[in-house]
Amino acid sequence: MSEALVLGIETSCDETAIGIVRGRKLLANVIASSVEEHARFGGVVPEVASRAHLEAMRPALKEAMAQAKISLSDLDAVAVTAGPGLVGALLVGTSAAAGLALAIDKPIYGVNHLAAHVSVDHLTHDLPAEPTIALLVSGGHSSLLQVNDITDEIIKLGETMDDAAGEAFDKIARIMDLGFPGGPAIDRISKTGSATAIDFPRGLTTSKDWESRPFEFSFSGLKTAVARYLEATPSYAKGDVAASFQEAIVDVLLLKAIAAAKKTDINSLVIAGGVAANSRLRQVATERCAAQGITLRIPSPGLCTDNGAMVAALGSLMVSAGRPASPIAFDAHSSLPVTRISL
Amino acid sequence: MSILAIDTAASRTSVVIIENGEAVFSESRDGAMSHGPALPELVQVAIKNREITEVLVGMGPGPYTGLRVGITFAQTFAWARNIPVRGFCSLDAIAAQVDESDFIVTIDARRKEVYWARYTDGVRVAGPAVDLPAVVAARRIKVVSDLFPDPKYFAEIADEFNEPIYLRRPDAVATADRK
Repeated sequence: MSEALVLGIETSCDETAIGIVRGRKLLANVIASSVEEHARFGGVVPEVASRAHLEAMRPALKEAMAQAKISLSDLDAVAVTAGPGLVGALLVGTSAAAGLALAIDKPIYGVNHLAAHVSVDHLTHDLPAEPTIALLVSGGHSSLLQVNDITDEIIKLGETMDDAAGEAFDKIARIMDLGFPGGPAIDRISKTGSATAIDFPRGLTTSKDWESRPFEFSFSGLKTAVARYLEATPSYAKGDVAASFQEAIVDVLLLKAIAAAKKTDINSLVIAGGVAANSRLRQVATERCAAQGITLRIPSPGLCTDNGAMVAALGSLMVSAGRPASPIAFDAHSSLPVTRISL
Repeated sequence: MSILAIDTAASRTSVVIIENGEAVFSESRDGAMSHGPALPELVQVAIKNREITEVLVGMGPGPYTGLRVGITFAQTFAWARNIPVRGFCSLDAIAAQVDESDFIVTIDARRKEVYWARYTDGVRVAGPAVDLPAVVAARRIKVVSDLFPDPKYFAEIADEFNEPIYLRRPDAVATADRK
C-alpha cells in the first residue's frame, strides 16, 4: 500500500493533537493546547493536562475529520503515540485510538513519539534521505540518532546526561521572568541582544569529552552559569543574556550533530522536536551544514512542536512499509526508548 | 440491538453487553493499573458479531487515570459509530447490587481517602463525595466497601452525568504562590 490514509493521535504532554495523512500528504492537523492552563504553574501539570486531553479529544477529532473531508471508513489505520510521555496523558490518547480502531474495525499502530518527530520530515520534503543523522531536541529530550529506516531501525548515538535543551530554555526563562514556555520567549527577546555578549560554557566539549562522550549533551552547567551571571549582574541586559545563552545551546547542539554526520559518513541531518522551531538554531544549522556539504532538513516550525500529523505520518510509513500493526491491548509506555519505533 | 456498558472507575475493568435488558456478556479484569490494555481487549471480544446501538459508561468517582480510560474509549467509540453515549455514577452500579434499605458505598480514592455515596430505599441521598474513612464511619450506617461497579445496572439508572466525577482539583501550586 503506497498511499496509506492514517489518522494519528498525540497526547504525550500538553497538546491534544489529531493529524490525518494520506501517504506524504497532510490532510488535517488540529492541535488543542492546554499550555495556558499550565503557564501559572511554570510547567506542565500532569493531571491538568490529562483532564484537558479528555475534554478536547472529541472536538479535535471532529475538526480533523472536517478538515480532511474524508469519512472514517476510508482510513487504513489509526496511529497513536504510545510513549514516551506522561503516562496519564498518553492513556487518554491510546484509549481514544483503541475506541476508534475497534469502532471502525481497522488496525492500530502504537508508535514512538520521538520517532514520529523525526518522521514528520517526510511531509515537508520531497526526497527524505535514509540513512540520516537526526538531532531530536524538545522540552523532554535531546538526542542524536542514526536513522537507518524510520519504520525499522533507529540507533541512538547519544543523549543529554541531565536537562533537555527545551527544559534549559524553560528554566532560564523562568529565572528571567520571561514566561512559559521559555523557548519562544527567549527566541523573541534574543533578537534584541548580542549572541557574543557573554561567553557562556559549552557543555561536554573538552578534548577529553570529544574522546569519551562525543555525542552526549549536558546543559545543567550552562544553566548554573547563567543563573550565577544574573545574580552577579543585577542590571543585566535581558536581550544579551538570552541571545548568549541561546547561542551556547545552538552551538553545542550543532557541533555534535555535525560531528556525528562526519563520524558516520552520513551527509544528511534532520533536526526535529520543539526546539527545532527556534529561529537561531535553524539559521546557524543552515549556515554550518551548507559549509560542510551536509543536506539539512528541518520541518516547518508548526510541525516541529508536538502534533498529530507526525504520528499519522509515521503510521502511514509503517503501513506502506508493511510493518505489523500493534495488538489492540497495548499499554502506554512512559519511558519508551527511541530505538523501539512501535509496540 | 446491543448495548455496550463499561466501567473503569475502580481497580477493575468491566465490560458488559446488554440485550433486551439481559446481560449476555460480562467480563472483567482486576488491576488498578491495567485498564489501558484490558478495556480494548475485553471490548474486542464483546462486540464481535453484534450491532452496538448505545454505549453506557461509568463517570466515576474513581482514580483518575483508570477512570479516563473508560470515558475516553466510550466517547470515541460512540462518536466513530455515530451512536449515543451516556454516563453514570459508578457508585450507583455498586449500590444496585446491595439488598439493604440504608447504606453507604465506598471505593478506594487513594491518599487514605474513599469515594462514597449514601443510598436510602434505593435512592442516592448523599454523595458522591470524597473523605477519610473515619468521616464516613462516623455516620454510623452500614458501609459496603468490597464490591465493584457492575456496568449492567447502568441500563436501569435514570440519573445521568455528562462530566467525569473527579471531586478533587488537580494538585498544583501556582508559581506566584511558591516559596
